[in-house]
Amino acid sequence: MIVDGEHVFPGPREVVWALLQDPEVLSKAMPGAAKLALVGDGAYEGSIRVGVGPVTAAEWKLSVTLEDRVAPEHYVMQVDSKGPIGFTRGSATVDLAEADGGGATRMRYHADLQVGGKVAGVGQRLIDQVAKMMTQRGLNALGGELERRLAEGA
Amino acid sequence: MKPAPFEYHRPSTVDEVTELLARHGPDAKLLAGGQSLVPAMNFRLAQPAVLIDLERVAGLAELREEGGVLRMGAMTRQRAAERSPAVARGAPLLVETLPFVAHPQIRNRGTVGGSIAHADPAAEIPAVMLALDARFHLRGPGGSRTVGAGEFFTGLFGTALEADELLTEVEIAAPAPGSGWAFGEVSRRHGDYALAGVAATVALDAAGRCSGARIALLSVGEGPVLASGAAAALLGGEPTADAVRAAADAVEREIDPPADIHASAAYRRQLAGVLVRRVLPRAFERARAAAVQ
Amino acid sequence: MTRRYVGERVRRNEDHRLLTGHALFVDDVQLPGMLHAAFLRSDHAHALLRGVDVSAALERPGVVAVYTAEDLGDYWCPGPLLVPPPPVEGIVFHEATQVPLAKDKVRHVGEPVAMVVAENRYVAEDALADIVVDYEPLDAVVDLEAALAEGSALVHERFGTNMAARVVQRHGDYRRARDAADVVIARRFLYDRGAAAAMENRAVAAVWDPLGVDLTVWDTTQAPIPIRNGLARMLGLLESQVRVVAPFVGGGFGPKIMMFYPEELLVPWAAMRLGRPVKWTEDRQENFFATTQERGQVHEAEMALDRDGRILGIHDTFLHDCGAYDPYGLTIPINSQCTLLGPYDVPAYHSEFRAVFTNKTIVTPVRGAGRQHGVFVMERLLDIAARELGMDPVEIRRRNYLGAELFPKNFDILYQDFAPLYYDSGNYLPALETAVRMIGYDQLREEQLRLRAEGRRVGVGVVSYIEGTGIGPYEGARVTVDPSGRVRVATGLGTQGQGHYTAFAQIVAEALDVDVERVHVVTGDTREFGWGTGTFASRGAVVAGSACHAAAVKVREKILAMAARVLGAAEEQIDLADGRVAVRGVPERSLSLGELASHANPLRGAVKPGTEPGLEATAYFGPDHGSTASGVHAMVVEVDPETAMVEILRYVVVHDCGRLINPQLVEGQVQGGVAHGIGNAFYEKLVYDEQGQLQNASFMDYLLPTAMDVPRVEMAHMETPAPMNPLGLKGVGEAGAIPAGAAFAQAVEDALSDLGVEITEIPLSPDQLWQLIRAAPGAPLPHLQEARR
Repeated sequence: MIVDGEHVFPGPREVVWALLQDPEVLSKAMPGAAKLALVGDGAYEGSIRVGVGPVTAAEWKLSVTLEDRVAPEHYVMQVDSKGPIGFTRGSATVDLAEADGGGATRMRYHADLQVGGKVAGVGQRLIDQVAKMMTQRGLNALGGELERRLAEGA
Repeated sequence: MKPAPFEYHRPSTVDEVTELLARHGPDAKLLAGGQSLVPAMNFRLAQPAVLIDLERVAGLAELREEGGVLRMGAMTRQRAAERSPAVARGAPLLVETLPFVAHPQIRNRGTVGGSIAHADPAAEIPAVMLALDARFHLRGPGGSRTVGAGEFFTGLFGTALEADELLTEVEIAAPAPGSGWAFGEVSRRHGDYALAGVAATVALDAAGRCSGARIALLSVGEGPVLASGAAAALLGGEPTADAVRAAADAVEREIDPPADIHASAAYRRQLAGVLVRRVLPRAFERARAAAVQ
Repeated sequence: MTRRYVGERVRRNEDHRLLTGHALFVDDVQLPGMLHAAFLRSDHAHALLRGVDVSAALERPGVVAVYTAEDLGDYWCPGPLLVPPPPVEGIVFHEATQVPLAKDKVRHVGEPVAMVVAENRYVAEDALADIVVDYEPLDAVVDLEAALAEGSALVHERFGTNMAARVVQRHGDYRRARDAADVVIARRFLYDRGAAAAMENRAVAAVWDPLGVDLTVWDTTQAPIPIRNGLARMLGLLESQVRVVAPFVGGGFGPKIMMFYPEELLVPWAAMRLGRPVKWTEDRQENFFATTQERGQVHEAEMALDRDGRILGIHDTFLHDCGAYDPYGLTIPINSQCTLLGPYDVPAYHSEFRAVFTNKTIVTPVRGAGRQHGVFVMERLLDIAARELGMDPVEIRRRNYLGAELFPKNFDILYQDFAPLYYDSGNYLPALETAVRMIGYDQLREEQLRLRAEGRRVGVGVVSYIEGTGIGPYEGARVTVDPSGRVRVATGLGTQGQGHYTAFAQIVAEALDVDVERVHVVTGDTREFGWGTGTFASRGAVVAGSACHAAAVKVREKILAMAARVLGAAEEQIDLADGRVAVRGVPERSLSLGELASHANPLRGAVKPGTEPGLEATAYFGPDHGSTASGVHAMVVEVDPETAMVEILRYVVVHDCGRLINPQLVEGQVQGGVAHGIGNAFYEKLVYDEQGQLQNASFMDYLLPTAMDVPRVEMAHMETPAPMNPLGLKGVGEAGAIPAGAAFAQAVEDALSDLGVEITEIPLSPDQLWQLIRAAPGAPLPHLQEARR
């Protein structure tokens, strides 16, 4: 499953970069009652709570590793998540470019995720849409968090 | 394929339902016809801790006409609606669409309200409700409220229902004089989830020009999609073949259909356009016939 | 006064029981204290198994046992190779059979990792969620060409390759044929995976009786006798201590002839170990992973012809998807190789395949068993050649048919029964002409032009095929006249809806001149009959039916001999009719068969030496080679060029399965086979992603054609009786399914002939067809033309 797109954040690249590595911020961007902790350099572990429509919200274990980091413009995120109805693993390439004369940041992301287990066999009608929806919500939440940070900073 | 364990309740009044919902919140699921929920539970995709069966709740399945308004209880079985003279008068678009909803056996159990609350993007009934500009009555522990179809569907399986609310009634205004309707969908086999579908209502004024249009689509977005741009373009003009084609092209540009193993986004887009071109003329034809009367 | 049953439309003996709910299916077996099994199946297509922790599952109330590979001890071993490789010169074959529970590594999604036995299936499934498995995922092997490429992950490391086998078969000199050709057609064809989707999933129930010291197993298998023999050996029991019953079974279609599935081995073992009956019923979702499938092949095929459209030679190289293991040997690709030749004269043939291991469910025969691929390739090449030569597709077939005077025809290449391919009888041209006439071919061609002017796209497809049926090794039957006067027939193979309870009764009833409703047939119970192989390869009626006939004939001889003795007359004076024996012309000197049977089993007095008691005989039938069925399918479709949806308007089958025992049963088989074939062509495709995950593991997304999608088949039967069995029978179980994909492709192309659409992949979806239409070299679509104005 490919999830790719662009998102513009209303803040400078360095701030966005820092936000994206902050486990507390990431927890807020993730679905449900997410708990994410930094367990090593660029390595996070925790869980997220996911449920859409008929699928009951359930806890999915999550581990994320950031690799190939070139601050503040590029990293690759390895994702491994397992829940009661399946698993997903894969990687996402994230590139940050300056926009709006440095006042904003354009993120380009390209994720290639494998979905397996029960949800892969019966959820194909919806998997792509759910992934896009969760990604969009997460990016919006990150954007909101960024605005809060900037407002506090100012 | 056996479901996970759950607690089962069978209340007899709406108040009991809202009380249970308030107590259990997101751990509870309402059981209406069960035609979507039970398979999901058997697959263990759904594992609600609490199941609240609406089967015995009094007063949720009434069907009546009140001064030009059709009121359907949420638990009205789809098959009952399909065969009801009142629904044929008050919401003929629904009667035309229901035979496309799965199979008769499923419609014997499935409910109108259940389909609306479930809000599957490929479901026909939500799109029809959008085309009819229906209004939905919701009840919670705090009281009742009414939400229009346009505001009710909020995203992928998303509705305006709070965790402690249930849908009690659907209200549809009778078709105005000079209005027409039509439905069409493309599916691999009869009764399957549609690859794309169009539910349209139109109205013609005395001069034969389009005075109203609502074009709702299913299976081309996160929920039912109202193609307002395409509908607006039809207003004030005569419903010629060119106008219909322009509307179809506008719909194709307006939608952002998903891809899945059955159809690519491009193919869905193509189907949506073809369906608009085939459905609108039938709707206008009905409008003309109604105006003549 | 002689009863005629063979060839008659006799209503089925078994229907009353089936329709009134008195037929036993495996899931109906309920025994006191019965436990229920569920299997934890791998979520990964390819992964190392680092650990399986079942401790939480064991703690769950209601769970009686949880087993992993370690717990099986010596019982754990790979299954037997069911079909060894054929003795083809230069063959390469790597044997890798399935294991009862994964150890060290999992090789396909759905491979069993642990077995839970609990008080009921609900608790068992709850316990599956308690088990924690540590998988280390590996790259999955999915694409056939990538599997053979350098650097690919290996399904079975020990072979150093994913190639399971390589086989080359040939006759004549293709290179010379190609050099002499006026036209050479070369294409790549893809025929993709589908499931059998029998209405009843698999199920196994077992009970061990420590007092009687025997094991009873109910199993939805198509091969109860080999299952009994294998289980006895593996469990250390005598064959006589194991009874396997295949009761009423809701459809087989091939995957139930796959033997020694993990569940078949483990349920009886658990029943013995736990001292309680155990049952496992597969649910539909499991069926998509745990029961075998078929069909993936990629062909690079070439046909050389002269300018008159006569085939000079064919060269075909293909890859065959085995799935994760190859217990069924090379039956399917060998069938593809042989069936490709069809009813045509092919002077030179070079066929080469490599079977490939992939991280997907095991591939074993499903209705058609590899024949559809051969037919698809041949028929498509002929259609493309016809187009290139400006020839009608029916005409090119006429020119290449084998003449009736050539039978029996021997080939150099080997068939699935390890004997050289052999056509015993057939007459192809009349079948083609009948089909052409029935479908109204000439009128259709005129209609087509008129309809196209109206914007409607109608097309016709006519294809032909041959099918080797009725192969050995053998089957047996025992016929017994009961003292009640009813007749009992027992045979070893199983029945999954083919109507054996009626067809075999018809054969015996006619031989003994009794009422067909008084013939009681028992199949699929090893206690009733213990010698035989099973129901597969369209051989049941032919081989077991012939055995029933042979046994009935022997009983008839005994009847006449006994009657002569008892009634005091010469054998030639005895008449056997309507269930009675009588001295000709002396009606008072007669007995009912029941009375005669009693006479044949005296309680007192002496019998002549060498006499066998009763009116009973057992006979076996084992043909040297199979018998050749054949047919022509014709189909009319309408394509909506804007939506690419296809409607099948008419379907004609002209079929030769030799002598018909019961036309009603044959028609049912053909109608059902056509439904399967239409499914193959336009609806059914198992979609695997690049990591071996099956993406449509339910009937919501794996589309079976319904009664609304399959027209009523118009049928005509031709009969060229098979010389190798006394009744002249040929098989018919798979016929309907075999050429449907080829007919569909031809018809759809024909409907869109002005656009130049070419279909080389089956199954076809509307989305794929729409893309082909968009990309086609021909004229643009009507609505695009209007838009440009």
